[in-house]
Amino acid sequence: MTAAMESSAALAATIPDVASLAERLAETGYVADTGLATALFCAVRLPQPLLLEGEAGVGKTQAAKALAEILDTPLIRLQCFEGIDAAEALYEWNYARQLLGIRLAEARGEGLEESSLFARDYLVERPLLQAVEHPGPRPAVLLIDEVDRADEEFEAFLFELLAESAVTIPEIGTMRARHKPIVILTSNRTRDLHDALKRRCLYHWIDYPSVDQATAIVRMRVPEAGDRLISDIAAAVSRLRTLDVQKPPGIAEAIDWVHAAVLLGVQELDAEAVQRTLGSVLKYREDHDVAVEAGLAWVSGA
Amino acid sequence: MPSPTTPAAQADLADVAAAFGHRLHAVGVPVTPERMARFAEGVLIAHPQTVAEVYWLGRVTLLSGYAQVPIYDHIFDECFRGYVDLVEATGTPPSAPPSPLDAGERAPRDTGTQQSGASQSPITSATPGLDARGDVESEEMSLLAAASSSERLAARDFSECSAEELALLRRLVEKLPLIPPSRRGRRLRRHARGDRLDVRATLRRAYRTGGDPVHRIHRRHTERPRRVVLIADVSGSMEPYARVYLHLMRGAVRALGSEAFVFATRLTRLTRQLAAGGPDYAYAKVAETTPDWAGGTRIGTALTRFLDEHGRRGIARGAIVVIVSDGWEIGDPHEVGEAMRRLGRLAHHIIWVNPRSAAAEFQPLAGGMAAALPHVDTFLSGHSVQALEELLTAIREAGERRRG
Repeated sequence: MTAAMESSAALAATIPDVASLAERLAETGYVADTGLATALFCAVRLPQPLLLEGEAGVGKTQAAKALAEILDTPLIRLQCFEGIDAAEALYEWNYARQLLGIRLAEARGEGLEESSLFARDYLVERPLLQAVEHPGPRPAVLLIDEVDRADEEFEAFLFELLAESAVTIPEIGTMRARHKPIVILTSNRTRDLHDALKRRCLYHWIDYPSVDQATAIVRMRVPEAGDRLISDIAAAVSRLRTLDVQKPPGIAEAIDWVHAAVLLGVQELDAEAVQRTLGSVLKYREDHDVAVEAGLAWVSGA
Repeated sequence: MPSPTTPAAQADLADVAAAFGHRLHAVGVPVTPERMARFAEGVLIAHPQTVAEVYWLGRVTLLSGYAQVPIYDHIFDECFRGYVDLVEATGTPPSAPPSPLDAGERAPRDTGTQQSGASQSPITSATPGLDARGDVESEEMSLLAAASSSERLAARDFSECSAEELALLRRLVEKLPLIPPSRRGRRLRRHARGDRLDVRATLRRAYRTGGDPVHRIHRRHTERPRRVVLIADVSGSMEPYARVYLHLMRGAVRALGSEAFVFATRLTRLTRQLAAGGPDYAYAKVAETTPDWAGGTRIGTALTRFLDEHGRRGIARGAIVVIVSDGWEIGDPHEVGEAMRRLGRLAHHIIWVNPRSAAAEFQPLAGGMAAALPHVDTFLSGHSVQALEELLTAIREAGERRRG
């Protein structure tokens, strides 16, 4: 277990406290408030899987990417979808290669042990196994994205990994992680996750960023945009969220909006600029109508 | 692993963490000892300097859902912003001390205020026959005695039944066969008449025939249950029907994993209450969360809220949505039409059940009903047990039919 202790000591040196984690995140261009920084800090240092929930576009996935970047460790991503199963998430046997192996042994006139057919060489590693097998020196960041999209039964596959940082393959045995992966799960809350899953995780709800935060984030992500434009758009997005829109715009939409405005050479937001670029931030026709009704000038803040 | 600290400091921290956790648990946040330990460990590692840092450490480690945040905020303010001295309070845990042993197994509750299946609510006490829980046997007996009358009852309009007959009818409703509607799943399963070749299984089978794929194995898409969403109107005009439909909803939530909502002027999600407790508990919950029970109806507002907070997130997507309402809208009928149009784009099939439509002179003149009808795929009456059977058939068949 010395390897594990070494890596946890290395992690403690890299991020000694919550504030320094927030600073390091900011250096990579990710603005995290105290809440999210605390959540990520606990996920790394306790260590404990972290369940991130929030509306689409508040930067859940980005948080995991930024964390992997500051720890200088690979991000292993498992995108969940309806019908995902163990073969796609954990491991799979390479049947074609096994068949080839048999044929080769036959051609050479050699005998073949069954155990050699179910050896590591014939194993196809999927994301969860990759994360467990990661050789170090620091643990990998495992992002299990949109876990609410997977079937409820699939959650059960995750329990062993979340609680023990281990994966069991019947033919080989239990593989334990030398460096416990830092696990981050995200959910859009399309359904309630099972309590057994939640019990094993830390929990954090990412809220929409405040205007100041949004300004800071957009400035980092779209450096070519002018300060005036960015603060105009950050304020406009938070105004749009107060309207009765179907999809309140998140930070991703704000960034899209700034990109669109920069492309069209808009320096500052006015009613006309809003009209030309509104499609990049509101994605429903009804939402457009609501915004027009509220007044494009009001949206632009003029 | 906890960093080295003096044992005394650790003991204090453990006390505070446990007391704080218990306090949260007492008001309904399912904080397990495991989570309390995580909180203490987090404090040891992070060395929080400000109250805000402690706040976030606790929120991240102790909670498991967004709904718990307001309660947590309240209790945190109480404990850490100066109203209650936690260490003083350690000796005397808050009222109703929870046992730490069963804490881990207890199902979480949505809010801290709900009580156990309290049967003092005005709604449940109106049906004495169902309240007597210990009296199951005699109830079964009376059910048997009434079996001959059940056929006659099956055709009766719920609004014409007496309280005793309604109690009996609810038993009939719970016995209705619920067969889940199906949709094509994404997964493939082996099937003799499948339309796709299962290459992997074919190769594996080929081991037996010396590596030559003699037997071909096919597979095809599985059938998955399609989600059913039930939304019932519990306003004054629907009162005779509402309770019967709660029983149907309870059956659907348990057997089909459906989602259940009720509304009068506000929308309330009942899925968890129906899945966990008996119908009495669900009534109590409705009475508690729907102060306007048996008041007016705002169908448009309720449906819009359903779409915004639940439907668009995925609950309504591709689902069969059953709305039980007489369409008497006190709000703007236009809003009903707009909400139904949005729902129509999300849902696979919309069934509207209007018990009033069984009357011979019925015409869909109620403002909300007229606005909703163009977006409804199937329109039914559902006013008696027989009509409920029609509804269940419609739900089952809606799963197979393509939208047209």
